This record gives sequence, structure tokens and C-alpha cells, in this order.
Amino acid sequence: MTSVIRTRKLVKTFSKGLRALDEISMEVKKKEVLVVMGPSGSGKSTLIRTFNGLETFDSGELEIVGIPLHSDHNERNVREIRKRVGMVFQQFNLFPHLSILENITLAPIKVQKQNRIEAEEHAMSLLSQMGIITQARKYPSQLSGGEQQRVAIARALALKPELLLFDEPTSALDPERVGEVLDAIRSLAEKGMTMVVVTHEVGFAKEVADKVLFMDSGKVIETSTPEVFFTNAKHERSRKFLNQIGE
Amino acid sequence: MRIKRYRGLFIQVIVSTLFISIVALFINNLSVNLLRAGLGLNFSWLFRSAGFALAEHPLPYSPSSSYAWALFMGWLNSLKVISSSLLIATLIGFLVGFASTGTNTLLRILSKLYVTLIRQTPLLLQLMFWYFVGFLSIQGEIFSPIKGMLSLSNQGIILSGINLSPEFSSLLVGLGIFTAAYISEVVRGGINSVPIGQWEAFRSLGLSENDGLYKIIMPQALPAILPGLTSQYLNLAKNSTLAIAVGYADIYAIGDTVITQTGRAIEGFLLLLLSFLLLNLIISNLMELLNKYILTYKQR
Amino acid sequence: MNKKHNLFPYIRRIAFSNSLDTCITLFILLAVFLLSTITIKWLLFGADWAVVIQNYPLYAFGLFPADQRWRPALWLLLLISLTIITLVGPRWRWLRKLLPITWIGVIPLGIVLLSGGLGLLPVASRYWGGVTLTIFLTTCSSLLAFPLGIILAIGRQSDLPLIKFFSSIYIEALRAVPLIAILFFGQLLIPLFFPIGVEINRVIRAVLAFTLFVSAYVAEDIRGGFQSIPKSQEEAAKALGLSKLQITQFVILPQALIIALPALTNQAIGLLQNTSLMAILGLVELLGISRSILANPLFIGRYMEVYVWLAGIYWLICTVMALLASHLEQKVTIEKLTIKN
Repeated sequence: MTSVIRTRKLVKTFSKGLRALDEISMEVKKKEVLVVMGPSGSGKSTLIRTFNGLETFDSGELEIVGIPLHSDHNERNVREIRKRVGMVFQQFNLFPHLSILENITLAPIKVQKQNRIEAEEHAMSLLSQMGIITQARKYPSQLSGGEQQRVAIARALALKPELLLFDEPTSALDPERVGEVLDAIRSLAEKGMTMVVVTHEVGFAKEVADKVLFMDSGKVIETSTPEVFFTNAKHERSRKFLNQIGE
Repeated sequence: MRIKRYRGLFIQVIVSTLFISIVALFINNLSVNLLRAGLGLNFSWLFRSAGFALAEHPLPYSPSSSYAWALFMGWLNSLKVISSSLLIATLIGFLVGFASTGTNTLLRILSKLYVTLIRQTPLLLQLMFWYFVGFLSIQGEIFSPIKGMLSLSNQGIILSGINLSPEFSSLLVGLGIFTAAYISEVVRGGINSVPIGQWEAFRSLGLSENDGLYKIIMPQALPAILPGLTSQYLNLAKNSTLAIAVGYADIYAIGDTVITQTGRAIEGFLLLLLSFLLLNLIISNLMELLNKYILTYKQR
Repeated sequence: MNKKHNLFPYIRRIAFSNSLDTCITLFILLAVFLLSTITIKWLLFGADWAVVIQNYPLYAFGLFPADQRWRPALWLLLLISLTIITLVGPRWRWLRKLLPITWIGVIPLGIVLLSGGLGLLPVASRYWGGVTLTIFLTTCSSLLAFPLGIILAIGRQSDLPLIKFFSSIYIEALRAVPLIAILFFGQLLIPLFFPIGVEINRVIRAVLAFTLFVSAYVAEDIRGGFQSIPKSQEEAAKALGLSKLQITQFVILPQALIIALPALTNQAIGLLQNTSLMAILGLVELLGISRSILANPLFIGRYMEVYVWLAGIYWLICTVMALLASHLEQKVTIEKLTIKN
């Protein structure tokens, strides 16, 4: 199997010498679902954001969908990666001045130079896949949080990405809206999408993840299958974390 | 409750009486002084011939034209210099605003330097600099990339056959560059008011920085930028009265001459007020229209 | 991890991340290089600083009689020390209580020292000038405009319709008119509004005009401060049984002033720059005296040197004011926060 993400000794230092990423070496293979867990401030968001160039790093090696990225943050490579990697944010980050349909078709038309009709057809099929096809002409502020997040997923899918990144996709949602978003992600996993998901949802991780990566203070503490991680974690700090979140 | 209401009424009556009596005292002094000088309030002098020449007048004018016509020429000259430096200021201001929020660090430092330098020195000094050093000290033509199309000399700017006087040119450059520094701050503030997540979202979709700025960031920043822009335009209009320092015949400069010649200070001053009011109304109404257009465009 | 190792990628990231960026960076570097060579050349070979060096007293004091220059100098010195004392914030309570009175005393003291009388040789206002006059105009006008602005802002917020109406009209009218027109009005018309025989010198007329103008802007800044205070503050004060006046005086106004402080600083800096307009109306403050110096046949055509020198002085004073203000701002915010806890 080919690897979609590969990092070697990735280091990012904030001012005052604090290490957000401390020699991270890891790998994600094709069709794999990796769930990243860890206490807040552990660097898991920073890690996932370096995967599409939203964060720079100071040293180490990073290769995403076969494209190398170095600490000089070569813009051509970054843009090539972003065209092939989708990202879903905690705060949805939909464009408030564009309709749902325009939100989804913007990148296909502008970046991939698709024609409008083709892009809209694809967008509609994605919306129906997400179960919100009736909302296509509305604006983001008219939708519930769960619906907005599903639009954000459709938007990320519109470029037919080889890898999807989720940065705490359910943390900003009302509890009763979490399920619909997780269901959407689960159905993507079943279709064989390669994904990295930062989340605190243990049930989801148990069910969908192929591997769980646990981070603390910028370091990878352990990488295990969910069966091992949730029942018999290798590391003391992982067990402590699981205790704290009530598992 | 009732006592309170009476108290409010009482305060108002006292303040108004005080205010009105002060105003009355002033007006009384004024009329006494004016009578002593043999100057009752009247406007018939407006139609006497002005007797002074104007270097620049958009419509036919000669010294035998009336004071009223001279003032109108001044008003048109003001309008001309305001509208043209407004365009330049907007262009430079937006470019610098973009540069100061952009990714190129050198450009960011440079725009910061420009803004502090312009904002920490008086506009009047800058205008004099552009006039005496910028234009009048030029020896020969220093810059003419295309013969006859664009040239810079101590005769001002020649732009495809249109000759701009050095007075007008220095005002144009001075006001434009000064106001641009303030506009760039307004633009920067507007852009920074858009949540960082919007930048991350368009970047994660592979959109280029330019596409993202134009399609995603600016439509959201504009509503925050417009009010600041309007007040900068109004400031520009007010600042254009410093034209007198470089000898450009704007409404204030001509008003000044007219008052000195006729001694009609009160009337002249009232006319000046009226013409500024008119300029302000034009600018704020145009901006209101623009605001409405942008809002409807936004909602479609 | 050493710094050197990261320098090259860092530079590449911030200045050469794509071809457009590279073009811009190279263009700027070229332009900066050309500009600095021209500047250095001019500084070394072109410039003749005699016009500055021979006229230091003029720039500082204008045409003030040479043997009386200690008076403006003394006033400036007192002003600077008072500013420093205020900013340092003395520990002694009696000195703190004295400060506001001292600040109010600055204006009459300045007038006496400049114009003479009380045993001092009288000096007519046309001899006042240079930086002294610039600072005098700025200080007096801001000290007078501040309380007037507060009154206007409170007036505009008032529930009493007449007071609200008058304040609004005043503020809007003055903000619609260019400063130069108001200064012109001050020079020409203020005497007409006073009884015959009351003589007001040109500098005081300018101070009055600046005060009228700036107070309208100060009022708007303070109103901005009022509006950013949450409604709950007023409700909390009402619940404590404070009267309307007490609420404004003890709850709303102190908070509004702190919020408005940066805007007020900008007004003061703007005022200092705007005093240069008096050069057009015949006062010889810093810019005015420079125009006189440039008119001297000895220094004909030395515009560049004088303007660079003036820009430097204005820039220095404005920057110092901005720094002092941000110091004050930090101090005030910290003090208020510590009181809260």
C-alpha cells in the first residue's frame, strides 16, 4: 500500500522555545482512517494543519500525497497539496456572503477550471449525499450548525480529494447535532476515503478508526489500533487521558 | 417621578436661557461692531465685478466677472482637485492596505514605514514639500517615458495632452499620498475584521491568495471599510482647503481673497459654510449610494 | 536546532514564496537601494545645513527678544517636567492632588511668561514663535477643549431634548467645516463678537478657534467611549440607587475616558500638526518661522534642508507624544484592573 502522509522528525517551535511539534514521525496509508487524540494544547491541531500547509514547520520531512514539503514552505507545492487534500474545520468556516451552492462550486470553478454546469451538478450530488439537497440556494446563516458542517464536508469533497482532514469537526456543534455529522464522516470511511480526524468522540474512534494516534506536549505518545488503545493502552499517559475523558 | 420631570424641564430652561443670552450678547456685539464699520448684512456686492484674475478656471472667467462667478469657479476647482486626488488616494490606499496584510514581509514593513512617516508629519508641510521641492525645483523634464503622453516638469504634469499646473499637481500628489495612508489603515482594519478561519478555508480549497482576497475576503471586509472610507473622503475634502498654501485657487482661497477685498467677512464666511456643506452632501450621498449598491449586490 | 540552519528557508518563506513575491521583493530592494544612494549623496554633497544650524534660536523661540528667551525656555522646561511627573505618577498624595491644579495653571503661567507684565518686560504676541508657539497652541487648546468636549458629549447623550439638540448641532457643524475656515473665522470674526475695547491678541484668538474645533472631535471620541460601555453598567449603578449625574460622573465617564484615550491621543497629535495651519494665517510658529527663514536671501532655495529638518522635529514630537500616551494607557488600564481585583 502507498502512503498518503509521511512525516519524519517534524519539529515546530513557537517563540519562547515551546515545541508544538516535537520530532513527529508517522505515516498514513491509502484508505486508512487515522484518529488523532490528545489533551488540548497537545499539538494535534497544529499537526493536522501542517498537512495542508496552514502551519509552517521548522525542520524535518513531510510528504503529502506524494508531494514533498520543506520548511521553506514552497508555495507551488503547498497549492498543489491543497488542491488534492480537503479540510473541514471546527468552526465550519463557510463563506457567509456566498450561497451553499456557490460555497461548494467556488473552488472547482476557480481552481480546477471546471465549467459552472458541471461543477453545480457535482455539487448537487454531493449535497444529496450529505442529505441537505433542499438547502442549496440558502445562505450559511440560515442553516443549523450540523447542516453547515455537512456543507463544509461537501465543499471539501468537491475537489475530489485524495485525503480529507477533519479538525475537531463536532466540537462546535450542539450535542443533538453531533450524530448527523459523524454519520456523514462514517459513510465516507466506508467508501474508502483516506482520512485524518482530530476528535474527542470515543465511540466514533472505536468504530471507524484503523489507527489511533495519541499526542501529548507535541510528542507522539503511542499509535495503536482502537481495540488496543481503548482497552489496553500501552502508555501510562494514554491511560491517564482516557480516564480523564471517562473511558 | 413628577419632581424629576420638573427638574429636567428646569435644567433645560436654564441652559437654554443661558445659551440664548450668550448668543444674543454675541449677536448684539456683532451688529454694533458691523454698524460701526458701516457694514450691514447684505449680499448685493456678490454681483459686482471681482477685478482679480484666476490662473485656473474650468469655465470662461475674466476679472470683469462677478464675485459670485469667481466663487463658483473656486468651488469647481475644489471639486476638481477633490475628485481627482480622491481617486489616487483610493487606489494607493487599497494597494498599501493589501500590502500591509499580505504575505510579503518586506512589503509589510515598507507600508508600515510609509504610514507612520505620513501620519506623523503635518499635511501642510507635505504639501509645501511637493510644491516647492517636488515640482518647482525640477530642472527640465525629468520623467517622460512616452513623448507627449506623460511628462513631469516644473510646469506640472502633462498627461496625454492635458496640462496640469504645478499647483494642482502638487495638491493632487500631496493630498493623494496623505489620504492614502489613512485609507490604507481603514482597509487594513476592514481586512483584519474578517475571521482568520475565512483565510484558512479558502487556502485549504487551493484558491490563490489573489482569488481569495477578491472573492472571499473583500466582499466581507467592504461593509466594515465603507464608513471609514467615507469619513476619509470627507477629511480629504476639508483638507483640500490647504490649497491656499500652494497658491491653487480653490473655494477657500477665493473666499479669502473676496473677503479681504470687500471686507464682507460674515457674508463671505456664510457662503464658505454653504459651499462646504454642499461638498459634504455630495460626498456622503454618493457614498450612501455605493453602500446601498454593495449591500444589494451582497444579498442579490 | 540552531538559528542559522533555519535562516534560508525563513527568508525564502517570507520574501520569495512565489514568482510574483520574488519580483516584488527584488523591485523593492532595488528601489530602496537607489533611493538610499540618492539620499546619501545628497546628505554628503548636496545639502547645506547652514540654514538650520545658524537659526536654532529662531526655530525654538521665533522672534522673541534674545535677552528674554529664558522665559519661553522656562515655560517649556516646566511643561516637560510636569508631563514627566504626571506620567511617573508620584507616590506622595499631596503632589498627586496638586497635579490637576498645576495643569490648569500651565495656561496662565505660559501667558504671563510669554506676554510679560507682573514685572516682566512686555513682549507683543507677534514676537512669539517657533516650537514654543507650536507647543503653546497645542497645550492650551487641548487643555481647554478636553472639558468642553466632555460637556458636549454628555450633552449629546442627554435625555433633555433641547440640550441634546444644541450639542448635536454644535458638534456636527464644527465637524463639517475645514479647520482653516474656523481659524480664519477666529482671526477675523472673534473680535467682532466682543464688545468694543476688548482686545484679544492673535495667539489667544487662535487658541480659542482651535478649542472650538477640537472640542467637537473630542466630544465624538468620548461619545464613542460612552457607547462601548455595556448597558449593564448603568443598570448596576441604578440598582445601587445612584442618581443620573452620579452614574455619569462615577461609573460611565471614567470608563468612557479610558476607552477613548487612544482616540484622544490621536486628537492631540493631530492638533499639534494642525497648529502649522497658523503659518498661513500669519503666526510664526514652527512652520511659519521656517517660511520667514526661507524668505531670507541668504538661504534662498534651501527648501529641502528646511523641510527635512521640520519633518524630523514634527515626527519626533509626535512620536514622543504617542509613546507617552501608550505608556499612560498601559498605566491607567493596569491601575484600573488592579482596583477591580
